[in-house]
This record gives sequence, structure tokens and C-alpha cells, in this order.
Amino acid sequence: MSWELLSASKKSKGVTLDPRTKLIVLITICFLVLGGEGGGLALVTKPMLTAIPILLLFCFGKKKAALVCVIIYVTCYLGEQFVVPVTTGATNFVLLFLCGFISRVLPGLAMGYYTVRTTTVSELVAAMQRIHLTEKLIIPLSVMFRFFPTVGEEYHAIGDAMRMRGIRFGGKKTVKMLEYRFVPMMICSIKIGEELSAAALTRGLGAPVRRTNICKIGFKALDIVLITFCAVLFILTILRKIGLLGVLA
Amino acid sequence: MNTKTARIGAKDLVTVGIYSAIYLVITCALAFLSLIPIMYPLMTIICPIVGGIPFMLFLTKTKKFGMITIMGILMGLVMLLTGMGYWSLITGVIAGLLADLVWKAGRYSSAKMSIVTNGVFSLWYIGNYMAVFVTREAYFQHAVESYGQAWADTIQTYLPNWMAVVLLIVCFISGLVGGLIGKSLLKKHFKKAGIA
Repeated sequence: MSWELLSASKKSKGVTLDPRTKLIVLITICFLVLGGEGGGLALVTKPMLTAIPILLLFCFGKKKAALVCVIIYVTCYLGEQFVVPVTTGATNFVLLFLCGFISRVLPGLAMGYYTVRTTTVSELVAAMQRIHLTEKLIIPLSVMFRFFPTVGEEYHAIGDAMRMRGIRFGGKKTVKMLEYRFVPMMICSIKIGEELSAAALTRGLGAPVRRTNICKIGFKALDIVLITFCAVLFILTILRKIGLLGVLA
Repeated sequence: MNTKTARIGAKDLVTVGIYSAIYLVITCALAFLSLIPIMYPLMTIICPIVGGIPFMLFLTKTKKFGMITIMGILMGLVMLLTGMGYWSLITGVIAGLLADLVWKAGRYSSAKMSIVTNGVFSLWYIGNYMAVFVTREAYFQHAVESYGQAWADTIQTYLPNWMAVVLLIVCFISGLVGGLIGKSLLKKHFKKAGIA
């Protein structure tokens, strides 16, 4: 399993979206699929919102991943609609939990995966500068995204090392787990972090002048279509919330 | 270090990013436990305690006003992107700002104040529960659909409205405990290694 999050180099394949569009779609999915209500309108919008990241993944060249997503989603969706109502008791609970949970989390995960795999750190920074986010947020955010995989990697490596020494759940030193796992992990991460910050400073991150960026970002036709689609969905949801659009609800 | 210590420099911002990443990885690993209903409110105990360790280390590097606020905003943004709702963004800013004030009152070095700071900062966790209290009906309708009636019913009984205050206090207290644990670990390991 690759721990790479935001890739350092650009692998240009198929359609390219503006990082801002990806974030807007991601937020829309998080709000309307993961956190949204069901019934009525959502019966149409949720599958549509799920289709977007899967199509994007397909266009990006991740055909296998896209196909797996489709199969899982369709299974869960059909299961939720047809199998769940006829089961009872414990089976019902487990099925509902599994299907409901997976079909809600999957679109967000797929979109998140697509976003981080197709956006470089530079592009993200460029996009955030374009929306005039303050530098005080841009730098920590980009560092954080760059740093997640590192922490995860260290966490697993140290977990392996500690398991060899019997520090695990059910082992003799379960109580010591907190200390023996977090302390080395943090010391590692901090060392890496210091090197990272030195590297960034050498490249002029702290310089008082405005940094230039080589990445070309901008909205194209597809971006505009997607953003409009998200905006329409949000407006419809709000209208539904305040009681209008009773027909659709 | 830069002698002009009043303003936040690039190095400080990188520090905030690094510690936020560690803090989030640790809390997210634990957050998966909340699928078990009883663990859901208990997260307010576990997360501040475990998160206290990296946070205390973060405080040793924090010498400027505003760094904790930025961390709070980052927490809120990540929660927003992972679908926990927008309340965390609000509580993140408030708790971060308060923690900044407390830490400033401790002159960025007081051991006692650092523990209180962790307690105050831990209050941002309440943002993950606000949706339950403020938009109760919508939340549970959604919960029934996503996790099933049983899960939603159990959560419903665990979280009556007065629990909001209890959770807030619990967050603070476990933040203090986390701060104490973090402080002792700091003394034991990081001072020796020359990091803290």
C-alpha cells in the first residue's frame, strides 16, 4: 500500500480539474452524502454525487479502482433498498449498518483519494493563494497534508518494532503501549519535521516577498459545469430545508 | 531563532502544521472506535488524554500569540472535509483563541498554565457533538439512515441535552489529565533527548 498522499510530481493523464473545483466537489459530497438527509430529492442526488468521483477516477486511469467502487456501491445501494426491508433482528441491524455506512462513506473516500492523488502540493498552494487565503493558513495546511503520510508510515513502523518486543494489545506490556508507541513516533516525526522546515526555508518559504508559482491553474468548461452542479444541489437542499419545494421532499 | 519574536514566522507555521498532523493522526485512529455507541461520548475522555501528549510538546515550541488559534482552525477545516460538520470550525477558533490567551498569561513557559492550556484547547472536541444538540432531529434522522435504528437509539439515550454541559466539563478535565500525562512524558523522554 502506498502512503503517498499529495504527489510531488505531476502525472498528467486525461482530464485535469482545478484544485478549487476538487475541493468544492469534496465539500459538497461531505455535506450532502455523508451528512445529508435521505429521502425524496436525495434519492437522485446521492447516486449522482457518487458517480462524479467514480467517473473522475476512471478518467484518471484508475479503471480497476473505479470498477471496484461501482460494484461495492451498487451492491450496497441495492442491499439497502431491497434486502434490508425484508430482514429482521440482528441480520437487519448488521446489514443496515454495513450498507448504510459504506454507501455514505464511499463517495467521500473516492473523491478524497482522487483529490490527493491528482493534486500536487504546488498546485494546492497556488489554488489557495488564488482564493486569497492568508499565508498563516496556507503554510500549515500544506505542511500538514505533506506530513500525514509520514506520520502514518512512522506509526506503522514503530508499531511493528514494538510488537516484536511484546508491546501490543493482549501482550504483557499493554499498559505501556501509549508511552512506548507515541514517544518514539513523535521523536521521529519531529526530526523529520525539522528537516522539512529547513528545506522549505532554504527554498524561500519565509521570505518577505510574494512567492511565484509555476503551476497553471484555472477554471475550464468542466470545472464550471461541476461547480454549477454543486451550487444547484446546495440551493435545492437549502430550499428544501426552509420548507419550499414540498413536492420534492 | 529570529529575534523579532512578535510575529509568527514561516518556521512557526511549519511547526503548527507538523504538530497538527501528529495530533490528527492520533485522534483519527481513535475516532474509529466511536462506531461502538458507548464509545461515542467517551471520545471526549480518550481523545484529549491521548492528544495531550503531542499537544504538550507543541506548547514547548509555541512562543507566539496565535499559533494555537491556527491549530484550532486547522482542526475545524479537517473536520469539515471529513464530514463531521461545520461546528468544529467554530469551536476550534474559540477554543484555540482561549487557549492562546491562557498560554499567553502563562508567559509561554509556565508548567501549570500549559496543563490548563491543554484543558482549554480540548474544548474544541465539543464541536463534533454540537450537531446532536443543536439540530437533534435532523441528526438522528440521518443517523437512523446511516447506522441503523439501534445505533441511533443508543446514542439518543446517551446524549440528552444536558449532556452538552457535562461533555464540555469532561473535555476540560480529561484535557487536564492529558496535560499532566504529557508533561510527565515530556520530563521523562523529551527533555533528555533535547527536544523539549
